[in-house]
Amino acid sequence: MTRCLFSNKLENCVTLWRSAGYSVIGPVRKDATSSYAAVEHAADFDLGMVLPDRSIKELFFPQTEPMLHYTIKQQAINTEEFTPPAGKRIIFGVRPCDASGLSIDDPLFGWDYKDEYWFQRRNESVIVTIACTKADDFCLCTSLKLAPDSTNGSDILLRPLENNNGWQVEELTERGREAFSAIAELLQEASEPTAPLAVVPEMFNLDTCVAWLQNPENFESKFWKDISMRCIGCGSCTYLCPTCHCFDIQDEGDTYSGIRRKNWDSCSFALFTMHTSGHNPRSTQSARWRQRIMHKFNYFPGKFSVNSCSGCGRCTRQCPVDMGITETLQKISTLHP
Amino acid sequence: MITQEKYRSKAKKLLAEGSVKMVIGYSPGSTPDRRRPVFIRSFDEADQLVLDSNCIANLSGYLVSEGLLSDEKHVAIFLRPDGIRSINILAAESQLNVDQIIIFGFDTNGNEVRALTGEHAGEFSEFIGSIKEHPPEKSRDPLLYQIEQMNPQERFAFWKDEFSRCIKCYACRQACPMCYCRRCIVDSNQPQWINTSSHTLGNFEWNVVRAFHLAGRCVGCGNCDRACPVNIPLRLINSRMAEEVLDSFDHFAGLNPAQEPVLASFKKDDSETFIL
Amino acid sequence: MSELFEPKIIAFVCTYCTYAGADLAGTSRLKYAPNVRIIRLPCTGRISPMFILKALQKGADGVLVSGCHPGDCHFTHGNYHARRRWMVFRSLLDFMGIQPERVIFSWISAAEGGKFADLINTVTEDIRKLGPFDQYKELIRETEAPATL
Ligand code: SF4
Ligand code: SF4
Ligand code: SF4
Ligand code: SF4
Repeated sequence: MTRCLFSNKLENCVTLWRSAGYSVIGPVRKDATSSYAAVEHAADFDLGMVLPDRSIKELFFPQTEPMLHYTIKQQAINTEEFTPPAGKRIIFGVRPCDASGLSIDDPLFGWDYKDEYWFQRRNESVIVTIACTKADDFCLCTSLKLAPDSTNGSDILLRPLENNNGWQVEELTERGREAFSAIAELLQEASEPTAPLAVVPEMFNLDTCVAWLQNPENFESKFWKDISMRCIGCGSCTYLCPTCHCFDIQDEGDTYSGIRRKNWDSCSFALFTMHTSGHNPRSTQSARWRQRIMHKFNYFPGKFSVNSCSGCGRCTRQCPVDMGITETLQKISTLHP
Repeated sequence: MITQEKYRSKAKKLLAEGSVKMVIGYSPGSTPDRRRPVFIRSFDEADQLVLDSNCIANLSGYLVSEGLLSDEKHVAIFLRPDGIRSINILAAESQLNVDQIIIFGFDTNGNEVRALTGEHAGEFSEFIGSIKEHPPEKSRDPLLYQIEQMNPQERFAFWKDEFSRCIKCYACRQACPMCYCRRCIVDSNQPQWINTSSHTLGNFEWNVVRAFHLAGRCVGCGNCDRACPVNIPLRLINSRMAEEVLDSFDHFAGLNPAQEPVLASFKKDDSETFIL
Repeated sequence: MSELFEPKIIAFVCTYCTYAGADLAGTSRLKYAPNVRIIRLPCTGRISPMFILKALQKGADGVLVSGCHPGDCHFTHGNYHARRRWMVFRSLLDFMGIQPERVIFSWISAAEGGKFADLINTVTEDIRKLGPFDQYKELIRETEAPATL
């Protein structure tokens, strides 16, 4: 016997959570795209998709966020800071790869300077993950040593029941327990079997790839040019990536007043490394693609002991020229270290 | 299949005799219906080339990659009619020399692929002219009618909703063969005309500027629309602009390599009914 | 009676014709609505659609663009180029849901001080009737608001 949440109670859950002061967020399909968005009713969730087109990161690290407002009057400069919105929230129906993405970025946003925009949201969010029972051709969590039921970054893990009528509940953190105590009356002890997890074939051996990347001789390898010739530098791989976290600070305004904003940025853009002088140390697209791979599987793990990729596959799924982490690492794994 | 074989052997022949340094084409992608751009430089590699109805992307943008054509050598490239039109525009705007380009022209009808006759851009002018005169039976996007039926407030609200999802990745720009500017207007900040941030205002401004810069230049290849990761129907704006230049100035973008760019030319008797 | 809405209108004009026309309106002591801020440029050919977007971004309720009559351009054909550009840009704005009445184009020569004064009055009245450009201002306000999620 395990505690289960049945799908027919989901609407009651949403109501209870909302009355307990949580805002409720989950996978939603609107217009032509899907993303994690706020809902009022359980019926607004779309829990059938493999994963939303847009990753979970934007709930913690929005594409554009105001930081401070300034005004300059005669000699006096006045600044007023924006704080991230406060309030507890439950993010329901998160995919394990998205949840892992959050835990991958936690050390980054906290190692030297604690990014309050990230952590305030992290501390107030309960991540309720649903293990995957279906995957598509692009999912690659297993290649990253994760799984369709990874618990990294989650507060609750729900395992779908075989009859597709609910989930077994695994409470992983105190925050998760607290959120689920609000709906305790809706949970039932049951002994229904869980559905089989999605089968995600391993597409490359990560250790072999990492060894190749760590060899300094391969930095100048011809491989980089060959693999990325067709990259058009559109950056959508980085913008949809749950772990890509680069941002740019922009002042929008004039001499009298304006707003300083934190905007997404991407190493796929030529402008990312462009110096004021016009010199660009990463002057070719292949150098930029190399940076993306090196950062994710060499520099980032070197600093934080975890790869900066959670295997969601969005980069390949979305790439207009059919590139992505998978193809590159598959090819690297066949090269001699 | 026959067309694919024909062009494969042609690629091999041209590469073997050294008359082109590269063939830009399609190869199999990560799923059965995906095709990826490929750059073939030798006889042996030519067997990677595939050609079927999944070969949709307009590859002409690669021709203006920095340095590719500066050695004055020849490059062959697979192009649909819209791709050939792009080359004509690039030539008309002095971005490339059409003499350096060998065109492997093709078109599809359902699953059928047929080769187009001709090798150099100029040889297709008559064919492209016939597309202008008799546009293919592709019906106008029903959404266009819907948008036209709306009142201005509704239209504004429609686009506001669409653009609110834009993440300003600029994939639409990068994917477009006509967006070759070394420094895009949105990347220059002295002065900064439009907001760089991707709040809805900045997104709106970006999309207006993009559409305007492509008016009379867009060939409707759909690269931008397909590249947009949040599926904003960019095709609607582009085709509205294409209709506008056709109606107002009888301009069909990319007719031939010598066509004058529509917004860099004028007629003394251009319509001006709207000017007070 | 409720207070009259005073629209903010930006006029981009060429220095040789319309600006001179405005000057003439002034020296002839013609009265016209004070709602228009004039920005002078060398030629209509220099009036980029970016300027119009910028004006809206900064909260204008309407934009007026004006220069020499066809054939009278100081630089021979700057206004012919401009005319094509406006044609296209205007239909783009219309398609995006920006009423054509908010972005007006005109030819006013150095001799047409009267036309200038009249036009400013009409345009001001027309835009006053349309009311403030609330939909655009809402977008502007959004840029000043804190993140929502
Ligand atoms: S890999 Fe693909 S998605 Fe990423 S920047 Fe290059 S073309 Fe764009
Ligand atoms: S891969 Fe590129 S965009 Fe992503 S985090 Fe690393 S440097 Fe930033
Ligand atoms: S704007 Fe879009 S459809 Fe038009 S040429 Fe560019 S990529 Fe193709
Ligand atoms: S591709 Fe789509 S999301 Fe990206 S900048 Fe263009 S319109 Fe915006």
